[in-house]
Amino acid sequence: MYSALVNKKEWFSTLVVWMAAALVTAAFLWLLGDIIRYGFGQLSWQFLTTPPRNAGREGGIGPILVSTGLILFVCLVVAIPIGLGTAILLAEFTTEEKNFGRLIRRSLDVLAGVPSIVFGLFGSAFFCNILGFGFSILSGGLTLACMVLPILIRSTEVGLRSVPSDYRLSAAALGLSPIATLRQILLPAAIPGLLVGLILGSGRAIAETAALIFTSGYVDRMPTSFLDSGRALSIHIFDLSMNIPGGNKTAYSSALVLMVLILLMNGITSWLAMRWQQARISLV
Amino acid sequence: MKWILVALLSVVAFGGLFFSARPFKAMDTTGTPKVSHIPAQLLLTGSSTVAPLAAEIGKKFEKEHPGIRVDVQTGGSSRGIADTRRGLSDIGMVSRPLHEDEADLFAFTIAQDGISMILHKDNPIERLSRTDVGNIYTGRLTNWKALGGRDAPIIVVNKAEGRSTLELFTAFLKISNRDIQADVVIGDNAQGIKTVAGNVNAIGYVSVGAAKYEAAVGIRIKPIPISETVTTIKTSHQQNFLLARPLNLVTKIPPEGMVSAFIDFARSSRMIPIIEEQQFVPVTK
Repeated sequence: MYSALVNKKEWFSTLVVWMAAALVTAAFLWLLGDIIRYGFGQLSWQFLTTPPRNAGREGGIGPILVSTGLILFVCLVVAIPIGLGTAILLAEFTTEEKNFGRLIRRSLDVLAGVPSIVFGLFGSAFFCNILGFGFSILSGGLTLACMVLPILIRSTEVGLRSVPSDYRLSAAALGLSPIATLRQILLPAAIPGLLVGLILGSGRAIAETAALIFTSGYVDRMPTSFLDSGRALSIHIFDLSMNIPGGNKTAYSSALVLMVLILLMNGITSWLAMRWQQARISLV
Repeated sequence: MKWILVALLSVVAFGGLFFSARPFKAMDTTGTPKVSHIPAQLLLTGSSTVAPLAAEIGKKFEKEHPGIRVDVQTGGSSRGIADTRRGLSDIGMVSRPLHEDEADLFAFTIAQDGISMILHKDNPIERLSRTDVGNIYTGRLTNWKALGGRDAPIIVVNKAEGRSTLELFTAFLKISNRDIQADVVIGDNAQGIKTVAGNVNAIGYVSVGAAKYEAAVGIRIKPIPISETVTTIKTSHQQNFLLARPLNLVTKIPPEGMVSAFIDFARSSRMIPIIEEQQFVPVTK
């Protein structure tokens, strides 16, 4: 920066770049500050565990937290194996130019750009009506899995591709079977990519409203099975702020809980990624 | 690596148990869930305005009828009508009167939602006529003095394009949004209330529920009566309305069994406190 300041020609562009960065940070801090300011007051253990009362103006978000967790669970249980499998196929068994791989990649890119409400309508038609799951946590989780898959697959594929081909050649030269190569060398190396996909994907999933309103639904009762309808946190926030006069306070608190959840998830995943990589390196 | 596998397996096993705890909803061969006349689960779909009220009524209903679950889902009035017609839901929720081509359905009004004019609490004006409101919003009246108030300019607060309250409002005054001379254009009800509460000379209109709630908690606004109201609304709060819309429950066939019990329950006088708690106006029979 100092050298840039010395060079008068670069002074202006430096300022622009720094202002852009400051603007982004300020917007985030303002948003966070606003949510903390209005949401922190009502936050308590009771708020996190009790069911909502009076359409959410009073009471807590207990059942809503449980539903959100279950929806995310279904989503990840379905998305991770399929995502990992497809990424391995794309990265290890197809080349960039081959038609089959290109077809899958194009489809994924298109899928990744589809607005979430379209996924919601698809999920409502396919999982709720055709498969007969109805409004349920299962339908919601499966819809989210469809939505998250493109992100998950692409970032895992990038992770796998970033492993130098020397590794694969050396493994082959040492007589390791393809499965062993995959398990011992490629997958550990691809974990950061998978985790980035997971963070992005679950972040998108947990904050999703449009895809869930017609699939997992609006019921704020404590779910007793995956076939129960369960209201997700983001839908609760949306409903409180748009539909319920006097629901602003609890909407802010719920938003604060959602923010903390997302930050926590990001933190835990990146910590895990670091640990696993270190463990792998020490083994080698 | 092994413990991860064990953890994963046990999680899946737990999930399986949880999954099998409840059987699938009965299906017929065409793939649409069956709606029996005495369902163990009552499914309501439709208007997001009615949904919070229906859900609260549902909770009370569940308490009195153990074994019955009332599930409320949103999606808008049109979806409520479509789902009811196709038998996907037991009861539809519709936040407007039924259109002529919807006469095949049976509608039951459970409450009213309306728009109310609001002024700042310190404004001496106590009531306005429909003509006054029309003149104020089209810019023909610009000073409170002409209406018997202070000698101060009228600050007209209008809703942004696309808001349903704006459509109801302009339809009621029989004017176009282009004719409105607004000083402030706002988005949601909360913003309208803040604007009027912060300006002694402002006039605005918001959902009656929001206006009554905020006035009750001490925000410095007052909902004011309009002297010429829609005559078909017979409610105890009639004088506060500019324009109201009914909140309806609709069914495909004449209600029977649980459906009938729920609709009667929703329309009973015991639900009045709940309706008022949700900032709507009860319908007095």
